[in-house]
Formats: sequence, C-alpha cells, structure tokens
Amino acid sequence: MGKRIRIFSIAVKNLRRKIIRTVLLLLAVTVVTAALFSATLFISSMQNALKIGTYRLGADVLVVPEKYATEARAALLAGEPTSFYMDRAVLEKAKRVEGVKAATPQLFIKPASFTCCYNVDVFLIAFEPETDFTITPWLEKNLKKKLTGNEIIAGRTVPVLVGDSIPFYGTLFNVVGTMEPTGMKFFDQSVFMTMDAAYAMAASSKENAMQPITIERNKISAVLIKVQDGFTPERVAIRLEHDIDGIKAIASEEVINTVRRQLGGLMKGILAISVVLWVLALLMLGFAFYMIVNERQRELGLLRAMGARKGHIFRLIVLEAILISVSGGIAGLIGGSALLLGFKGLIISSFKLPYLLPPVPVLMELVAGAVLFSLMTGLIASLIPATLASSLEPYEAIRKGE
Amino acid sequence: MIEIKDLTKTYTVGGQVSKVVDHVSFKLAKGEIVSIIGHSGSGKTTLLSLIGGLTKPDSGSVIIGGKDIWAMDDAGLSGFRNRMLSFIFQFSSLIPTLTAFENVVLPAAFGDYKEEITGYAKELLDTVGLGDKMNSFPSQLSGGQQRRIAIARAFINRPEIILADEPTGDLDEETEAEIMALFKNMNREREVTFLLVTHSSELAGQAGRQLRMSSGLVSAA
Repeated sequence: MGKRIRIFSIAVKNLRRKIIRTVLLLLAVTVVTAALFSATLFISSMQNALKIGTYRLGADVLVVPEKYATEARAALLAGEPTSFYMDRAVLEKAKRVEGVKAATPQLFIKPASFTCCYNVDVFLIAFEPETDFTITPWLEKNLKKKLTGNEIIAGRTVPVLVGDSIPFYGTLFNVVGTMEPTGMKFFDQSVFMTMDAAYAMAASSKENAMQPITIERNKISAVLIKVQDGFTPERVAIRLEHDIDGIKAIASEEVINTVRRQLGGLMKGILAISVVLWVLALLMLGFAFYMIVNERQRELGLLRAMGARKGHIFRLIVLEAILISVSGGIAGLIGGSALLLGFKGLIISSFKLPYLLPPVPVLMELVAGAVLFSLMTGLIASLIPATLASSLEPYEAIRKGE
Repeated sequence: MIEIKDLTKTYTVGGQVSKVVDHVSFKLAKGEIVSIIGHSGSGKTTLLSLIGGLTKPDSGSVIIGGKDIWAMDDAGLSGFRNRMLSFIFQFSSLIPTLTAFENVVLPAAFGDYKEEITGYAKELLDTVGLGDKMNSFPSQLSGGQQRRIAIARAFINRPEIILADEPTGDLDEETEAEIMALFKNMNREREVTFLLVTHSSELAGQAGRQLRMSSGLVSAA
C-alpha cells in the first residue's frame, strides 16, 4: 500500500526531475559556502591561536636585543627557532622603568635535534622560576609543583610522553608534563626548563655534546614585562626603549594588532570575493526558480485546482530552493573543511601565523552559521519566484501552461 | 444545490473586449447530471472554471450550499476546492513526477485528510481498473489510463460536485462508455452532482438535463 504524499515529497520529486539542473544549482551554493566557511574557520583559527598564545605568553611587553626584534617577532608568531643573547643587566634596568610591575628573564636556545630516537626540531625556552609569571602559574595550576633540576615541560607537538628522558646537548632531561595545544609553534614546539638547568646544560655541553653550546650565566635572551595598572603596554615599551640602550621593546598587543590588521585585510578580500560569489549564486538560483515556475505553471495551476492554497504553492517553491541550498551548504561545509584540512600545512607555512581550531562551541556556531547562511540563500533567492507562483490565478496558470 | 446567478466574464485581447460568459444563470439540483454542449470558444470551459473557483467573475455569484464561493478568501476557496468539488480536465492533468497512486492521493497533501485515504485511493484505482498500475508513472500509461487515474483522483475527496471538461475528449468509444458508466455509478451511489462540458452530443444525451452554450449565453438544449 502506498503512502500519503506531502509537500516535502512533492518538492524532492520535483528536484529529481531535472537532476543536472539541480546538481548545478547545488554546486553553486557548495562553492560559496565552502569558500566562506573555510575562510571564516581559517581566520577564526588564527585569531584563536593568537588569543591563546597571548594568554600563555602572559607578558604585556617583550624586551629583546634591538637588532633581533624581527627574529623575536618571527619566533613569537611563527615559532621560527632563533637564539640571541643580551646582558642580564637589562633585567635589572627594566625593573626600574616606570610602569613595570614585574619582569622576568627567558633564554631562547637554538633548536637541538634529539640525539637518539627522535628527529624533530624543538625550541628550548628557559625561565627563572623565582620571578616567572608566564610558565609557573600554569605549572602550579596543572602540575601542582615547581620545575626543579633537569625536569622539563614539553609543548604539545613535541613527540614525547610524561616520564620520557630526552637528551639535549649531552644532558638528560625528564619530561614531567606536556602543555595543551596553543596553535603557536613558539609554545607547541618548545621545551621549557629552568634557567639554572639551561646554564648547567650549556656548561657541560663542552664535555658531553657533539655540538657544544656557549651561554654565559650573565646572558639572557629576553625580558618579559607585566605592566602596572594605569599604564598601557605601548607607553611602557616606549619608556623601556628610552631608558635602556640597545633593546627593542615589543608590546604583545602590537604584535597581535599587526596580525589582526593582516587578517583584517585578508578577511576583507575574502569577504568581497564571497559577497560577489554569493550574489552570483543568488541570481543563479533566483533566475533558475523563475524559469522553474514558468515551466511548471500548469502543474501549479492544477495543484491550486486540487485545493492547494497560495501558501502551499509558496512553501513548495521555497522548500525546493531551500533543499538545494541547504544540501549545497552541507556539501560546502564538508568541502571547505576538507580543503582546509588538506592545505592546512601549506596555508600555515605561507602565512607564517599561528593556527589552532577554535573550541567546539565556536566551531558549532560556525557550522550552524554556515547552514543558516545557505538556508537564507535559498529563501532569499526563491522569494520572488515563489510569490509569483503563489499569486498565479489557477485558471490562467493552467491555460498558459497548456 | 448549486445556483449560478448572473455570471459574467470578459477578456480583453489586443484591445478587443470579449464577453466570454454573458449573464449566465441556472441551477443544479443535488445528484443531478447536467451537460453543457457548445462549439469551441463558446465559453464552456471558462464557465466551468468560474463555477469551480479557478477564475474570478466580473460579476455574478456562484452559490453552493448556501455560500457564495466568490465571497470567500483564498483559504476558504481553496478549502472548498479541496473538499467539496473536483475537476476533470480535458487534457492530461497528472503530475509527471508522481506515481498513479500519488497522483490520486495528491489532494490530501493540501487538506485535513485521515490516513485511511490511502485505502480509499487503492479502492478507487481498482474501481477504474488500474489497481495494478498504482506504482506506474504517467509516462508509462496510455492516454486512456491517464484519464482514468485523473477520474479516480476526482473522487478521492468524496466531492459533492464534479466539473468535467470534455472528460472523454480523446478516448475511444469503448473507454468513453466505461467512463460514463463510472460517472453514473458514482452519481447513483454517492449522489455526486456532475456538470459535464462536451462536444459530444452522444455523451451529452446521457445526462439528465442538457444546456447549450453559445457566445457566452446558456440556454436549455
């Protein structure tokens, strides 16, 4: 026994009638949704990584040797391994600058390949537990302990497990924790140790390592600054550069803002292209449905003769358009995600910016937004044809279609 | 009881005003079979569409069950077409994307029908001799079979009135006789009122009463 037919089934059967046209219309929406979704997800991933990275950095200003400012920025944003040193006296001078609330030194040590079983370059970052306000709070919160001796914390992409022992420059270090991903290679591909451990490693490297390293105990790579309330990082940075010779003070917000500006420009470009694509898809869908209404006038008139109200006809046409656009939207979501996943490495290396997928709720919002967007595309495109179809006088529609 | 009062419809084509239905008035009693004969262009189809609520008259009224259908809003008029009346058109009126069965139950998509409608649809298909063709698409059926499916559909809403426009127009004599027998049977069993528009004087002769239409005017034949 057959089943009753509903408006939804009529719409689906109508779409199957000219499958090539339906697929072409669906593809148009797929392309637009894929472009918009992948672009939005890409930018939102970069913004997420920046947000998390900045939070993890925990510093308002980064003081580095003047001639290494570019390398420092590249290290922060793209995690490009680097090493540079300046005198520890900079730390003491920085503490005395107006507006500085706290200052802590860090050592950046050139990447060292693991000696035995691993072959991944890592970035060594050493911090001073007594004054540190960037790594220590995380350690206290997550490991409930301070880092001592040859203990290290590994970034998420360093291929080690808690309990592993890894040699750096001839010294064996014990992994006591791994950090959650941040999307910034500066953190994710780094190994964190105390400055004492780093100095000791450097000192013993002459005897233990094939490639020794020299770091004197009075050398540091950077000073991380927290500013007092009432002072802006930019103002303190200017003051630091004024008061201390040979340094560059980089406000972390400045780095973030530079990236945001880059992203903003990129976003505007993508948005402009997407709007053009969207308008084209709208016109294409709208025109196609105008044609569909014209070619199906007699059928629509017959449906009216069988008791379909104007609202039923309107709903039928809009439903057909929405079925195409939402299916296209879902295909676009899948396509866009696959595109982003497939070219993730290439995109990250091209833009040299941090990248981390946003949290699940934000992802869900993006997905819901894309589906809603595709639904609206179908709805808007079909409004005029559906209104025309529903306002046809049944007798005229039947006669014109004969 | 159907009362058509002073119904008028004009069309303007190329600046020429043509009165297609000209002050037509007549009554149909419940369960009556009335035929309207006339030449092509005499206004028969337009008159049928005015009575069925498919096109709005310039003036006049169509009173069915005491209500003027042209005083109803779209929902009321659509509901009336959905539950009270059915059309049988002179051309193939099946939806090509739907099976024979789906075409028969189609009116139920637009109204408040009970689930039992599916059983009734099967029964109607059996009545028109096409119970074994319920899953066939219109393109897989002959012209006569398509017409019989359309007739089965016309009965799905258990209508009070059936407006049939050349219901046997392109069918052979045998099928025409079968269809007329079906109409008479439905008329007898369910007291369905039929208003048939036809060229065929033989078909018209089988109606209880005959009207003639010429130049928009209706008179007793």
